[in-house]
Amino acid sequence: MKILVVLDTHEYSRNIMQDVTRLATNTLADIVFLGVQEKSNSKPERSLVAALLRYQHDLYSSFSPEDLPYEEFSNMEWQKKKCGDWLLSSRSMKKFTLRIRTGSVAKETISLAAEIGSDLIILGCSSQYGCEWDGEMNVPLRIARNAPCSVLVIKKVGRVKQIVSILDQSAVSQESLEMVNQLVTLHDAGLKIVGVKEQGARQDKIERQMVELLKYYNERRINAWIKLLNSQEIKDYVTTSSREGIVALWMGGKKSLLRKLFSRSMVDRLLGTTQSSLLVLR
Amino acid sequence: MLKTLLCVDENLASSIALRFTAYLNKFISLSLFVVHVEQPDEKEQVGSGWVQRVWEEGVGANGRRAVARMLRTENIDCPLAGRPKIFVGNRTEEIMYELRSGSYDLYIEGYLNIADSEQFYQVISSPLYAQAPCSVLLVKNLSISKKCALLCADSVDSKILVEKSMEILGDSTFGFDIVYFKFKENEQLEILAAEEGGGNLKQAQALLDGNGKTANNIIVLSGTPEQVGDYLKDYALVASTLPARKSMHMSTLANSLASVLLLR
Repeated sequence: MKILVVLDTHEYSRNIMQDVTRLATNTLADIVFLGVQEKSNSKPERSLVAALLRYQHDLYSSFSPEDLPYEEFSNMEWQKKKCGDWLLSSRSMKKFTLRIRTGSVAKETISLAAEIGSDLIILGCSSQYGCEWDGEMNVPLRIARNAPCSVLVIKKVGRVKQIVSILDQSAVSQESLEMVNQLVTLHDAGLKIVGVKEQGARQDKIERQMVELLKYYNERRINAWIKLLNSQEIKDYVTTSSREGIVALWMGGKKSLLRKLFSRSMVDRLLGTTQSSLLVLR
Repeated sequence: MLKTLLCVDENLASSIALRFTAYLNKFISLSLFVVHVEQPDEKEQVGSGWVQRVWEEGVGANGRRAVARMLRTENIDCPLAGRPKIFVGNRTEEIMYELRSGSYDLYIEGYLNIADSEQFYQVISSPLYAQAPCSVLLVKNLSISKKCALLCADSVDSKILVEKSMEILGDSTFGFDIVYFKFKENEQLEILAAEEGGGNLKQAQALLDGNGKTANNIIVLSGTPEQVGDYLKDYALVASTLPARKSMHMSTLANSLASVLLLR
């Protein structure tokens, strides 16, 4: 698994490190910490470098020395990949990389995610005005909407009691199931699997998926419940659920019902109303 | 042992019901029988006498194969007390006949959890539920909880609730909570003091004590059926009297994420 963590120097990025380290501990993923600087300089910004190194230290400290799957950097000189793009990388059992790019946070994140083939993007956000990043508009929203992989936006760190996963006709991948597992384990939470049916449409496929998921989680002794809702009810249901726990949306292909239901404004609203986190699964 | 009839069709609700029944067997000793009814299309019925008998045997064989597939796929850890009973005909009539002639204590079938009170009401007011000679368990989910809720409210007869639930659950190793529901349009579910529960709650508690059981928790909930239904998800099942009409009580059962035991 490859996890791309988007970080800056603000408190909302510091706050997510606890969840990031726990996820890294549980998944033993290849990790990339990405910082994006606004201005094009000849070298990486000092404050961003210091922040990323601090976050690296936090991550490494969460492992005991004998269990640490990542190596320290053999050379602390940042390699220049191209103009405005630098990296520091190490490889042991797993790969760890610090990356600094220049430009728009959302654009560079999406571009890097595609480049490295990441499975999950994680970022925090400020809850002061809904869910925002300092210095650039709509970063979490634009990444959640356009990323080529799953996106976890952590607004507030803390234990949640339930995770509500919203399913539509899309295929559910093993990787996305595992991600939900990880969140359930991280928070020791229960899991609600909510199927969405369109008026007049056959519900065989969605029912089959829901029951298979229920059995999958039940076999893993994870408390899970299924519920089927009409498409007209889903928006209100998801908005209410987002106040009480983490919402995981399975956003599938072009024919995905959720993509039709969850317009830009709806995802924006969810990011604004969620008390904890939003997970967009692809 | 509780003589139990489980209806199995080749569908997802039955898949959940099979698994939940196996789970239930860890807490209540069940003597489990499985039934399946093949409902042929009227247009397919041809001939009479031996022709019809041969046709029925063919349809029945299809049913046996379907049940065998389900049992093989689910591979539940719960022994059957006898061979699966396969009938051909009207589902309600055949099951009702079997329930009466077999003197069952409990009937179980699966119900995919659709948050539609109207649909739920159609199911529980259908002849099979309204006239069943025993209590009926509607399996909605695969809870791994070890506790049951006795759902009480102003409209609920506490005597029937406790006495009938003890007939099914009295010898089980489940823990019991009494959950008293008071309807109110709240933003969020409120948990009130036990004293807010009123006479019915006290009676339920006394009756439970009289049956040698103690409620682990007495919970008074104030909220909407959706909120209370969601709260009930932490129980393996919710025992309730059968609502006679559309009501908040019925709506709560429709919205319950836990399986519902309708007591008769």
